[in-house]
Amino acid sequence: MSDLSTILRHRQLIAALTARDLKARYRGSILGYFWSLANPLLLLAVYTLVFTKFFPQQVVTPYPLFLFSGILPWTFFAAAVLESTSSISSNAGLIKKVMFPAEALPIVVVLSHLVHFALAIPILLAAIGVFAALGKFTISATILFAPLLMLLQTLFVAGVALTVSSASVLFRDLRDIITNLMQLGFFVTPIIYLIDAVQSRVLRALLRMNPMTPFVVAYQDIFFFGRLPGTSDIVLILAYSVGSLLLGFFVFERLRDTLAEAI
Amino acid sequence: MTDFAISLENVSKSYRLWGRRSQFATLKSALLKRDLKLSPEQSVPALKDVSFAVDRGEAFGVIGRNGSGKSTLLKIISGILKPSGGKMIVNGRIAALIELGAGFHPEITGRENIYINGIMLGLSRRDIDERFDRIVEFSGIGDFLDQPVKTYSSGMYVRLGFAVAVHVDPDILLIDEVLAVGDEEFSARCIAKIQEMKLRGVTLVFVTHQLDQVRNLCDRAVWLDHGLVEAIGDPMRVVDSYLQEVSGAASSQLAEEDDRRAESPPLHEPRSDAADEERWGSGEILLKHVALTDSHGRELVAIGAGTPVTVDIDVEVRAPQEDFVFGLGIYHADGSCVYGTNTDVEGYAPQLLDANARIRFVVPSLDLVAGTYRIDAAVHTRNGRAFDYRRNVIRFIVGSRVHDVGVYRPKHEWRFEGGVTFKSIDTLRQNVPAQIAEAMREVEKPKRKK
Repeated sequence: MSDLSTILRHRQLIAALTARDLKARYRGSILGYFWSLANPLLLLAVYTLVFTKFFPQQVVTPYPLFLFSGILPWTFFAAAVLESTSSISSNAGLIKKVMFPAEALPIVVVLSHLVHFALAIPILLAAIGVFAALGKFTISATILFAPLLMLLQTLFVAGVALTVSSASVLFRDLRDIITNLMQLGFFVTPIIYLIDAVQSRVLRALLRMNPMTPFVVAYQDIFFFGRLPGTSDIVLILAYSVGSLLLGFFVFERLRDTLAEAI
Repeated sequence: MTDFAISLENVSKSYRLWGRRSQFATLKSALLKRDLKLSPEQSVPALKDVSFAVDRGEAFGVIGRNGSGKSTLLKIISGILKPSGGKMIVNGRIAALIELGAGFHPEITGRENIYINGIMLGLSRRDIDERFDRIVEFSGIGDFLDQPVKTYSSGMYVRLGFAVAVHVDPDILLIDEVLAVGDEEFSARCIAKIQEMKLRGVTLVFVTHQLDQVRNLCDRAVWLDHGLVEAIGDPMRVVDSYLQEVSGAASSQLAEEDDRRAESPPLHEPRSDAADEERWGSGEILLKHVALTDSHGRELVAIGAGTPVTVDIDVEVRAPQEDFVFGLGIYHADGSCVYGTNTDVEGYAPQLLDANARIRFVVPSLDLVAGTYRIDAAVHTRNGRAFDYRRNVIRFIVGSRVHDVGVYRPKHEWRFEGGVTFKSIDTLRQNVPAQIAEAMREVEKPKRKK
């Protein structure tokens, strides 16, 4: 658990680096932080079009809200994990030339994507408000559980990021593998469809083995369906968060000493 | 209470070579070959059983050829690399100058980078607030402070990196060749700053190829060769044996010459000095040791402008003389003579020199402008025949906070009468010696904070 204490000891550094990351990313861009929304909004538009106009199906309505509440946590996960694969190798100078806590790098990536996620929430809320004003949707107090769910998901994402960031220093193709897995992952996570609408029991069971499934379903529950997540989902979320973090610390600890040499 | 800052016991380090075909394993190949073991095929030893201790407040030099393990040693002490074997103990906060400005992000401003870099080096935000003005002043980046670092020249980049690193107030400072970068004036300031830190009791570990720095700044030195400790101890002795080895390897002829010199006593004692030193004379009187020292008798290579210095000369008499003149010349790095004098022109009529002696040339205030200078020392007859002439026997650097120009800085002050007013006067830029300026700064600190 020395990683955890390292991370806590360097919280000022992590905070400063996260702020730097965000500043550097938006400096010199016209749209600023709206860039981080461009991808989820585009996905939202495409899938809404496809599933309400091209292949109209008996999915939930209002479909855009359903889609939006699943896409945002997925984007947070996918973008943070993908970027963390190169977080250490792109900062080789820090690892080789400065006494620098390497675990800060993937954590900073995760936190800066968490900020993007958090900045997108008001837009989701505004969309919910619009649909509610049109009388097509009823707002529920379960939305208030969002911060807790985001915290747990952040732990989960941090664990994955720690694992892949250190492992990808040794295995250079991990990034390519993860890029492809993420595209697959988007479809084997119930984001554009409802998991209960899947006919096959076997397929449903398989989908539930995807660690992102309980998280996305829980977001849909509290934002869209206005209900608390099921007990089994809650148990899985807690298990995945803690398990992922422990795995991340374990892998990182094993690889830490080789980082400065192998980079 | 331990009295050492760094202790190494049988520390060794091997670098691993990952596979022969490709330097990096890929996950795919690892899975295909069912070979996920993370053990390397080969390893290259970089350090073998290195043991030594560095005392608190000591300046410790590390010399050796390229690839001898110097940088590896520094990285192990700093904690960047883990030793493969042995035990290492470090007492105190370390700052490592391995690459200046390594943590800078090009897109954000110098101001923001100072904070991030400071935090990386272990300071808190409040610590940096306190040091901020000093860092900016030392770096001399001025108006560029609020520009993105990508607009900086490489010199400014390095200056800012050095400024942040030395203001961390470490207990132990590790320096790897960084003083080789930057212009003359800046490296003079760096050396002055390092000297100042040494005076404050900071433990220094130097990796350098500039042997005169090791001789002049270090209390002890170690010579590494192929990862092994070849010699350790007195820097003069260690540098000597290193130089002999290097020149011996370069040309056996030179080595023979060295031997011949060692046998024929008068002049060339084996103490070989900076490469550019020249020495000649008949050898009846020898200037055995010439050193630039401060008021406590410590040898200096970097001097704050306006501080008192003494040139100490140990004289060895091999044959008594009745006609002798001691002389000194100070030269600017560009070769121009700054000042020259001798005992004869100042009216000292010689009577007898018949036993070893010590000559002191005392300068109450060295009023030179920042730069690099050299000293010639000589003893000769009144008609100019040299007993021992040592050209460029000392090379020293004068550092200054004031960016004035020229060679000589007369003691002066500005006086104003009538309608002249100034918005503010930075007393730190006035002509005061570095140490006094530092003390003034300490006193002024509470005033400067709002």
